[in-house]
Amino acid sequence: MRFVRLSVAQAIYNLRGYLRSLRTVVLGVVMPVGLLVILSWVFAHQGQIAAAAGYQISAIAFYAGGLTAYGLMLGTFTGVMTAIVSAREAGWLKRFRGSPMPPGSYLAGQIIFNVVISLALVIVMMGIATLVYGLQLRLVSLFAMFCYALIGVICFTAIAMAVTRIITTPEMGSSVGPFVAITLSFTSGVFLPPDLMPHWLVNVSNYLPLEPLAQSMQTALAVHAGTGFIGRTFVVLAIWGAVSFVVARFTFTWQPLRR
Amino acid sequence: MASEVPDGRPLPAADEFGAGDPRRAMTNVIEVNNLTKRFGRLVAVDDVSFCVEEGEIFGLLGENGAGKTTTIEILEGFQRADHGSVVVLGVDPRHSHRAWRDQIGLVLQESEFDPVHTVNETLKLFASFFSNPRGVAETLELVGLGNKADERVGRLSGGQKRRVDVALGIVGRPRLLFLDEPTTGFDPVARKEFWSVIEELRETGTSIVLTTHYMEEAERLCDRLAIMSKGQIVQEGTSAALISALGSTTIHFEHCNDLDVDALCSACGASFIVRDAMVTALLGTGVSEVLLRLLTWAESTGTELHGLEVVRPTLNDVFLGATEAHP
Repeated sequence: MRFVRLSVAQAIYNLRGYLRSLRTVVLGVVMPVGLLVILSWVFAHQGQIAAAAGYQISAIAFYAGGLTAYGLMLGTFTGVMTAIVSAREAGWLKRFRGSPMPPGSYLAGQIIFNVVISLALVIVMMGIATLVYGLQLRLVSLFAMFCYALIGVICFTAIAMAVTRIITTPEMGSSVGPFVAITLSFTSGVFLPPDLMPHWLVNVSNYLPLEPLAQSMQTALAVHAGTGFIGRTFVVLAIWGAVSFVVARFTFTWQPLRR
Repeated sequence: MASEVPDGRPLPAADEFGAGDPRRAMTNVIEVNNLTKRFGRLVAVDDVSFCVEEGEIFGLLGENGAGKTTTIEILEGFQRADHGSVVVLGVDPRHSHRAWRDQIGLVLQESEFDPVHTVNETLKLFASFFSNPRGVAETLELVGLGNKADERVGRLSGGQKRRVDVALGIVGRPRLLFLDEPTTGFDPVARKEFWSVIEELRETGTSIVLTTHYMEEAERLCDRLAIMSKGQIVQEGTSAALISALGSTTIHFEHCNDLDVDALCSACGASFIVRDAMVTALLGTGVSEVLLRLLTWAESTGTELHGLEVVRPTLNDVFLGATEAHP
């Protein structure tokens, strides 16, 4: 009970900071929404796009699904990494460690906070896709999006924690995060349909975390029956999350790296 | 025979008994025995032993790099000792647990806050970690930030941020508070205000370990203090005892280039030294005789004793003497 209360307190603290600092909101929500508007407008004449897994899906489903995954990665991965590194280098994590706060509540707080903003991102993206671009959104698709968002946030939070040992400054975090997200987005069928890319690149991307998430979100919006759940996505993301968590368990530090 | 240690040394004072020994004084909140910490070849803390009693303010003094922060970080549980035993509130800080941290307050040497949160919000988050926290308003009042509760932390001055730091340190009602150079960067007014905060905390019975390089601060606040130099404790005691051990009186005046210090010493029968462009001597007894000889010497040699002062020694004299004696 105490753990839950403290985790929620951390999440609220993070959320408040998030809403007060414009840069993070721009990165996590405004940017994916803006890209959705631009890309849907540019590619509206395309009609059907050959997504991965052999589906022919509408341009709006392709971009709404892919860009939600991209925004989720950009926001969560960059956000958690930068938050941890800046709190650590400021001595804030060290203070936490020296207090009776249960260490896990900090992690839980980060996850809850990112789940909240990612669900908000899903709602905003689906709202625009439905109301402006005529996407036919079924309730079960929305539910699938929420499920993917949840596991995506947990996975990217773990990856972000695992790399904080080599990210020494917040500035480094806020440039590495978008760089990785943008690079991956090109190989993961977010901006460009995967059939435009070499086979080997698609095969590699299948095992990186963004591609399965993007593909699953696109599929969930495109199929006309069932949930469109892709089991492989859960497996790939779970493995990335679990391995990252183990790495973080052994490399994470509460004390500033620079001396 | 049982009352003697095997090698015939006298029995140690009660404070020097180990943590598990029932004979040890029950009122010690900190017991450090033969603590050593190395970083590669550098011996940062070299065989240090001391105790802090419940309710006292204990000062750790020393120049930068003397080992103060390393010592304090070992006491706080952030670093491991290489050798020796450390007991803080009955526990080895390496094996600290939540109930232990509930009784400890920390003010670290450097820490910053997320600038977009208010003072109140920052403190509330921290207070929620502790089992019996002080009220946020009460804590802010205590550190003199009562009117800044709704100000964002990023808009505070350096001194005000440091007070937020102190507020975070005391919000959990700690039994033991660590203050690592709390007033560095304060202006003199802010420093004096801060001292009264610490004195109020003393009234509540909080034990405090303070590191500082401001001698005036240590003299004013600390019940007992230890001076560290090159990782060792070179002096320990109350500031009054340390000062009176040094001497009763200091004579000093401005140095001029053609002054022959050796001649001055033999003429006065006292050892004058040159420090910070001042000629200084510390005296135990025979003050009036030395003064008389000094004035006679000055008149006969035509030396102007610019800025001549005859004063009581200060902790600064103790500090400089102690750190210079261990180069």
